[in-house]
Amino acid sequence: MMLTAEQARELALRAVGLTHADGAEALVTSEDAALTRFADNRIHQNVAESDTGISVRAVVGKCMGVASTNRLDDTSLAACCERAVAAARLAPEDPDFPGLPSPMEVVTPDRVHPSVRAFDASARAEAAAAIIAQSALRDLTAAGTVSATEYTVAVANSLGVNVGMGVSTVRSTVLSMSANGGSGWASHLSGAAGDFSPTALGDEAALLALRSDGAVSLDPGVYTVVLAPEAVSDILDFLGYLGLGAKPYAEESSFLSGKIGQKLLSPLISITDDATSAETLGLTFDFEGMPKQRTPLIDAGVGRSPVTDSYWAAKLGLPNTGHALPAPNPYGPMPMNLEIAAGDARIEDMIGAVKRGVYVTRFHYVNVEDPVRAILTGMTRDGTFLIEDGRLAQPVKNLRFTQSAVDALNAVEAVGKKRTLIGPEDGGANLAPALLLSNWEFTGQTR
Amino acid sequence: MRELIDRALQAASAAGASYADVRVVHTTQENLSARNGVVEGVSTSESLGIGVRAIASGSWGFAATSSLESDAVVDVARQAVAIAKASALTTRTPVELSALPAYNDSWEGPCRIDPFTVSLDEKLDLLLAADAALRAEPAVKIAKGALGFIRVEKTFGSTIGSFIEQKYTESAAGITAYAIEDGEILPRSYPNSHGGQAVQGGWEAILALDLPGNAVRVAEQAAGLISAAPCPSGTKTIVIDGPQLALQVHESIGHPTELDRVLGDEAAFAGTSFLTLEDLGVLQYGSEHVTVTSDATIPGSLGSFGYDDEGVPAQRDFIVKDGLFTGFLSSRESAVRIGRESNGCMRADGWNRTPLVRMTTLSLEPGGWSLPDLIADTEDGIYMETNNSWSIDDRRLNFQFACEIGWEIKNGELGKMIKNPNYTGITPQFWNSCDAVCSADHWQVWGIPNCGKGEPMQVAHVAHGAAPARFRDVQVGVGR
Repeated sequence: MMLTAEQARELALRAVGLTHADGAEALVTSEDAALTRFADNRIHQNVAESDTGISVRAVVGKCMGVASTNRLDDTSLAACCERAVAAARLAPEDPDFPGLPSPMEVVTPDRVHPSVRAFDASARAEAAAAIIAQSALRDLTAAGTVSATEYTVAVANSLGVNVGMGVSTVRSTVLSMSANGGSGWASHLSGAAGDFSPTALGDEAALLALRSDGAVSLDPGVYTVVLAPEAVSDILDFLGYLGLGAKPYAEESSFLSGKIGQKLLSPLISITDDATSAETLGLTFDFEGMPKQRTPLIDAGVGRSPVTDSYWAAKLGLPNTGHALPAPNPYGPMPMNLEIAAGDARIEDMIGAVKRGVYVTRFHYVNVEDPVRAILTGMTRDGTFLIEDGRLAQPVKNLRFTQSAVDALNAVEAVGKKRTLIGPEDGGANLAPALLLSNWEFTGQTR
Repeated sequence: MRELIDRALQAASAAGASYADVRVVHTTQENLSARNGVVEGVSTSESLGIGVRAIASGSWGFAATSSLESDAVVDVARQAVAIAKASALTTRTPVELSALPAYNDSWEGPCRIDPFTVSLDEKLDLLLAADAALRAEPAVKIAKGALGFIRVEKTFGSTIGSFIEQKYTESAAGITAYAIEDGEILPRSYPNSHGGQAVQGGWEAILALDLPGNAVRVAEQAAGLISAAPCPSGTKTIVIDGPQLALQVHESIGHPTELDRVLGDEAAFAGTSFLTLEDLGVLQYGSEHVTVTSDATIPGSLGSFGYDDEGVPAQRDFIVKDGLFTGFLSSRESAVRIGRESNGCMRADGWNRTPLVRMTTLSLEPGGWSLPDLIADTEDGIYMETNNSWSIDDRRLNFQFACEIGWEIKNGELGKMIKNPNYTGITPQFWNSCDAVCSADHWQVWGIPNCGKGEPMQVAHVAHGAAPARFRDVQVGVGR
């Protein structure tokens, strides 16, 4: 049974009290998650889980140890706290460790909607059936997910940090496929079940699948591209992971390193991390219990300071922006709620402005070839079209790109006015618009 | 434990399940990492819970909870059945499973020195010694090392009468040196990238790697990469080392031969496959030098077990034989679709995930060449070592891999070092261009503990045996 925010805070405080060290921090996560999966126009997997876990960070001098468990009886909890202390006593000192953070005021909006709890297996099955129907009536097959998740996170430490909040999400993805290789994609992410229209989502994917039927070959090369929000979100994720956190910045493996205040991207691009926005989802505090600050990272193309946590803020002499991941954290602080500022273009206008180019619905299996220049490679999928004379022409077979994200975002011709919320299974979410980019290098094509 | 599992099975049957299985899984882990002389993390974790999978009204349901209280176990079994009944809204054909006898058995993986009994001091000493050896090279700006240990104890029961207890220990270690200069970051890893080597075994497997002893060479190579030549662009003969080839097998043979992908079950997330059911026994997947086995019985491999997570015994099966495509990786449900019995590839990432078709130890079988002879036999090419980056399309056809380091091959000899080598290709075309595979002397099983698949995401621990092999007419230097 999932804990309420209050119950989670109590459990965290109890663990802090059981951790006999110079300092202690406890992170409680409790989740009820359910996901209905469909393929070939029928539900083939349908799962639910309930779990509550606690992670304890013990501090002895400048040494730390972490232990976690999902066994919450008194004996197991005490043993977990003792393991954390034992590890801290044996761990070598980290001279840069600034100590646990002191409490700061955190605003925790109500991000749990009762409709999500009511979105049970029957309701999810009906939603899946409604999505499937849109493909089936067009002789297409649908695959995808309908999920409902509610989670609670609480953090307490021995200096008085004591925060907790719940978040609920409804997420759905739809891939519609034709027998001739056409495929279309649509996705939904929101905090309430009432915002979700399965029929509309199924219709969107099915129409795109029909339109992408009969794809033709296209020679690799440099093209003007219109990236739909889903594709933009993928690039934004990698930019955040590779370059917008304090750790790669300090280690000179980020495109931001040594270039704060310089123009790095197009003046049309402003990137902010803002977990407090009413338009996004997720926690408003980080995994140290610090408030997530609205953090401008790229301001009209000019690089700003990276996101930090207590460790990296102290080490670099920067403010703590509240972007800690759970300890121990080899990645450093990470932006989880990135957004690109909306522009003024409609996607139709972007396509209309292209003489010859490529429209990309989304990418697949993107990976890093060069972290500093953020050179990425990946494939297009589920709706790739040649643009000719300002309109979507024939669909093209999926293309491989090998492209620096930094260079691409330095060649922006237009930014969409409408932004879409796109996110992973849980955690944060990006607000991404469509982008018109003048240079994007496709280096191969699939069969 | 038997009583608890029986209670869940009875509750599922009473609620209307025509079949149910139950897994109780207890996982304990320890992870240590160091970076530039600082211990970044010392952590332990444990997770215990129960997952119930049920067929009711011809459909699947799965529910899991971390509570092993008697009432909770009954509730979660009923929940699995209720979910299955809800799923039936879209059922056209009831789920059918391939035949399977009941097994009452236990199995344990190898482990000579229990890593959980080795002191933290000893582990940190090893890690920091390797870290210091990496940083002795001035060009190395970031030195990273990690150790990881996992113990899994799992009990399985099903309504056909099986009751199976299994226990195994995994140990993993790796180091990486990063040379950074002029906006370039150049990694060099040992014994493999992305966390190193992972095996079923104990502390003895870590000691055998000799991390400190290999750190000097690794650091020197990272430093050498700074002034190394860029990868030429064009079509080349390439020789690929074992660790990189292991990933190549994983991405371009392992995933496309997963039968659930071929049937479309993973279409929306991981993708489908270029293979069709009609390709079985017909498609020339690779050249005559390419034989690939799926083998869950190799001692010490990350892909080994006694029984898979639906109670099917571990087995060895040919997936590609002398280049011909001969078998899929399958489950009890998917095997029915090809008129076969499951070859035991259903694996779940813990108690809270339903099993999926997964790789076990999927290996390119060794050929007859020695590596020196293979290099000597190559007129003009590139020898590529250790994966740095990978990407492949949703049908597993168009792939692109980047490696940490390459070496020019000229007139049968290894020449100058090459930085950031990469190559791209189309799966069947690539495997049909293989004209030589090195012998068993060069063959090793490489653990891959980070194979993502499914929604909710599951991370499988799989493995691949591979020896260096040669491929002709491959496009290299993509985007360079």
